[in-house]
Amino acid sequence: MEIAKKTLIVVACLLLIPVTAVTTAAAKQRFADGPNRVFSGGPLESGDLHRGPDPDWLFVSDIPTIELQLLDPPRSRRIWTAEFDGKIYVWSGYMSTAVGRLWKRWPVQAERDGRAVIRIDGTRYERELVRIKSGEILDGITAAISSKYPSKTTRAAVEAGEAWVFEAAPRE
Amino acid sequence: MKFFYRCIAVALVVTVLAVAFVPSVSDWVEQVFQQYVGRAAR
Repeated sequence: MEIAKKTLIVVACLLLIPVTAVTTAAAKQRFADGPNRVFSGGPLESGDLHRGPDPDWLFVSDIPTIELQLLDPPRSRRIWTAEFDGKIYVWSGYMSTAVGRLWKRWPVQAERDGRAVIRIDGTRYERELVRIKSGEILDGITAAISSKYPSKTTRAAVEAGEAWVFEAAPRE
Repeated sequence: MKFFYRCIAVALVVTVLAVAFVPSVSDWVEQVFQQYVGRAAR
């Protein structure tokens, strides 16, 4: 019994090292200007703020990821993006899994308050995230997603709530 | 056991300092975490 107890303590102590490493890395990223990989970063502060008419979003087809920050809470993350019919879209998968819901809180926060800033190639754009839950447009958006990324996102998956798709519309 | 606890305490302090102040270490930690979380989510 004593050996089992000691083994348990040793394992718990050893596990504490990676847990500490992950916690420290996540906390450190919160103070950074933007995200790195998966941990949320702080507000997007550097980079010119885009003014004037919307750009031709087709250029994001060549960009693997963008930085997205919500105004509330003011945290940023790196996400995939796609262009369809002149508009820019972002999305989040794994929304029907427990781990996914725990990992990805921004879609829920964005649905509550869609005001956001995206940063692409050092330029910041003020946007309003508008969730698209259904409709024929999802056929085109998911086709654009699948042609750009190794993703199995389909219209059915979006309509079932497995993936949440948002248009990053211009902010009024 | 006392010696083991001391080693763990030192390891934790070294871990925090390394992750906090060495950029490549925090990046590596994040990369490994990303792989595990990605696998778990699927």
